[in-house]
Amino acid sequence: MSELLRRLRFLLRRAQYERELDEELQHHLALWAEEQWPTPFGNITLLKEDSRAMWTWTFWEQFAQDLRYGLRAMAANKLFTAMAVLSLALGIGANTAIYSFMDAVLLRSLPVRNPGELVILKWRSAGRSGPPRGIMGTMYRDGGGSISPNFPFPAVATLDPKHTALSTLFTYASAFQINLVAEGQAELVHGVFASGGYFPGLGVTPAAGRLILDEDDRAGAPPVAVLSYSYWQRRYAANPAAIGKQLLVNNVPFTIVGVSAPGFFGLDAGQDPPVFLPLHSSPLLTPKPAEEEKRRFFNRNFFWVEMMGRLKPGVSLQQAQTQLAGEFGQYAESTVTKPEQRAGLPKLRLEEGASGIDSLRRQYSKPLLVLMTMVGLILTIACANIANLLLARATARRREMAIRLSMGAGRMRVIRQLLTESVLLSLSGGALGLLVALGGIRFITLLLGNRNGQAILRAGLDWPVLGFTFALAVATGIVFGLAPALQATKVDLAPALKEVRAGAAHVRTRRFGFRFGLSRVLVVAQIAISLLLVIAAGLFVHTLANLRAVELGFNQENLLIFKLNARQAGYKDAALANFYANLADRFRVLPEVRGAGLAEFPLAAHYWNETGLTVPGLPATGLPATGKPLSTPMVSADQSFLNTMQIPVLLGRGLEAHDMQSPRVAVVSEEFAKQFFAGQSPIGRRIGLGGEKPTPDIEIVGVVRNSRYNSLRNDNPPVVYVPYTQDMKALGGMTYVVRTAGNPLALANTVRQIVHQASAAVPVADVTTQAATIDETIQQERTFADLCTCFAVLALLIAGVGLYGTMAYAVARRTGEIGIRMALGAQRGKVIWMVLREVLVLASVGLALGLVTAWETAHFVASFLFGIKPNDPLSIGLSIAVLVAAAVAAGYAPAWRAARIDPMVALRHE
Amino acid sequence: MGTRPEIPPGTLHLLVLKTLARLGAMHGYGIAQHIRETSQDVLLVEEGSLYPALQRMLVKGWIAGEWRPSENNRRARYYQLTPEGRKQLDRELHDFGRVMGAIARVIEAV
Repeated sequence: MSELLRRLRFLLRRAQYERELDEELQHHLALWAEEQWPTPFGNITLLKEDSRAMWTWTFWEQFAQDLRYGLRAMAANKLFTAMAVLSLALGIGANTAIYSFMDAVLLRSLPVRNPGELVILKWRSAGRSGPPRGIMGTMYRDGGGSISPNFPFPAVATLDPKHTALSTLFTYASAFQINLVAEGQAELVHGVFASGGYFPGLGVTPAAGRLILDEDDRAGAPPVAVLSYSYWQRRYAANPAAIGKQLLVNNVPFTIVGVSAPGFFGLDAGQDPPVFLPLHSSPLLTPKPAEEEKRRFFNRNFFWVEMMGRLKPGVSLQQAQTQLAGEFGQYAESTVTKPEQRAGLPKLRLEEGASGIDSLRRQYSKPLLVLMTMVGLILTIACANIANLLLARATARRREMAIRLSMGAGRMRVIRQLLTESVLLSLSGGALGLLVALGGIRFITLLLGNRNGQAILRAGLDWPVLGFTFALAVATGIVFGLAPALQATKVDLAPALKEVRAGAAHVRTRRFGFRFGLSRVLVVAQIAISLLLVIAAGLFVHTLANLRAVELGFNQENLLIFKLNARQAGYKDAALANFYANLADRFRVLPEVRGAGLAEFPLAAHYWNETGLTVPGLPATGLPATGKPLSTPMVSADQSFLNTMQIPVLLGRGLEAHDMQSPRVAVVSEEFAKQFFAGQSPIGRRIGLGGEKPTPDIEIVGVVRNSRYNSLRNDNPPVVYVPYTQDMKALGGMTYVVRTAGNPLALANTVRQIVHQASAAVPVADVTTQAATIDETIQQERTFADLCTCFAVLALLIAGVGLYGTMAYAVARRTGEIGIRMALGAQRGKVIWMVLREVLVLASVGLALGLVTAWETAHFVASFLFGIKPNDPLSIGLSIAVLVAAAVAAGYAPAWRAARIDPMVALRHE
Repeated sequence: MGTRPEIPPGTLHLLVLKTLARLGAMHGYGIAQHIRETSQDVLLVEEGSLYPALQRMLVKGWIAGEWRPSENNRRARYYQLTPEGRKQLDRELHDFGRVMGAIARVIEAV
């Protein structure tokens, strides 16, 4: 360390150092002269240089030299520099943009203490339907089984006191959408229930006040709330006086006791809940009566609460899992009442929890990997281009290299200098790429429709991303610079020095042939990669077109939709139903409104409500074909919903106003009639809905046309429409659909005013249009189609430039030969064909390679496609046509130039 | 000139350090002189090696330089061992001893 200081001091006092060394040598010389020292005095300049070299960092000095030289070379070759930097900026920028999303979604750890120790508890069950007799939360399929992070609350207690592998274990649950009224403003937000151990376990500190304690988290404790930092800023202007104030959550008063740390967003990176509430306050908030809720809270078979723990130092995930799985296994065993339940018993498993709940990761990891591969390929094409340009330049610099090497420069030293030049290029590209990335991040965020309340993607240019960009730029520079640098320094000195001028055409060494070979290999690779990207773009665009062409079964144009939840504002039973009905009536009388109805959720927007079903005459155990208990998707709606959606009635009648008073009726879809009544008219038949083996007391009064139920991708399932008043206990939030004469969104403010007049405590949420809602469900496909089209165009451009450059160079080198051919009578057409033939040969080799690769890799994107196969001949055929056209376009200019060669000039030149 | 034995590579530091240990403070010329005299004119240190070596040892912190009037009333830079330099001398003496012993064993073996 002190050596470093001494060296630094040397840098500062360089002049003094030189003076002193001079004086010292003078002194030495004087003594030498007096005493007639027998050795001759050596080279004083060299002596000084050697002495100085002891103090300096040779490596960095040379680096500075190389840097200066590189900058001069860049400045001397403006066109080349501009092209290289620009294509690198596009390539690196695209990579940075996608990587920033990967970083945000897949890699970033939670902003809590030692996130690496956190583990999430989940269970896996072998059965497809899963073992729980009731679940509220997340469950997803994994192979043949199902996985979920939700547990019954009593299970937590059986693990809690005993665990020795974990230093702490805490619980939490999603509060889903809650109606939050603070400072007179009502809004629908996502909330989180947290146990007393939640904040201490995560190591999150309060920014103000205190956080949720164990004594807040017990039945009967006064309800308290902790605000998130961002909500505190937004709603209370970060005023500490907010603590002690009350806010209403689903019409229940909570006292604010504190604010969580800045930047803390809970455990799901896709959300930003404004409030954290004690876990034991959840029975106060949920729609069912509090007593029933408490029963659910402590139900041994109702899965809803989630758990996270911290591994003790030195304990592995596997060890902890073995221990906890044993404890949970006993619990699960104790819930068995019938022997057949034993088959699907849930088994506990641990997953790493450093980045929190994995909902975003599960949704985005595969798409991001596909996109990352694509931008990686684009950067590869750009690298190949620059390597090609550098190869051409290396040929031009052969004489320079030969001189340097023959004057005694070490080959490594020259390679290092050439690499410094190329890394300098790529770093400039990377710096400019950051601008591209900023634009790209904004563009992709826009494409993904990052709306409030939807998944939040915290992508941006932060330090990890900048580090990635820097590393990528350096690696890129070395990748595209190395081959040309090796090539350039492998010179036969004698012939190169004999060349009269750099790049003279008449010397053709074997190495020259190789250089040309390498450059063609690069062009072929570029064409192959471009084909992959163009095929991918074709497949995704085709998929999007297929999705857009799906027959909805209803008219999505001019439909305004929005959500209300009056139950959370305190309305109940008949008052609740009336509130909804009266509002719909007030919308219907507006002059610009053609119709207004309501349903529990919008169609084709990823909602699904499946309920138990009995059909007299059919076995309750289900249709023989499926072996599942009978069930059907349903929609609770009012009398105008089907009319407003323009879903036509085929048989009988639709729901009518009087059905809302006597609601034991239902309207079914064609598919329902087909599946459960073998296509015969079901009018007048009775079915049962809800729970296990419901009594068949609901009369079918009509059949309507099929329509998309939850998604464009799924086939139309059987659907039953029932009056929303049929199950008053389950009546909660509703979605209004309003058909307008003009632009539906123009009505948004009027709607808000009307609802506000009806009740200030009921917030209007998610105001949008039916078309936009459906569009959002295919947002990923849209993003893919748009991005991949951009990528494909970019790849074509870069590869086109590469092909053009290579051919132009080849023609320039063959000027003499072509001149002779023409002098001997070759026709212009023939010359053009000669060049184009070469282009086509290169293109065909590239296309063949690309096709094989596409064939091998297409199945990776199969799950993103709709209505086509990954080896769709139309998409592939079109892609090939596009590439051949691009290749001919890129090759035609050099070919045309070849045909314009004047034999006289060419030969004189020779 | 060509027949004069050269200072074995790597031992110049050792010679300089040892000289300074014996003489206390000394300037470059004096160091070279001392090595020549003590070796009875066998080891001749060239300036081209001596001064870079002194700079190297300054960088390493083994010696420190100080300007003082010299015997002929000129200013001269006198070098002195630092504690770090003493340790280095011990290390190099030890290593040199082992190498010498080893070489001796090899060349004297029958």
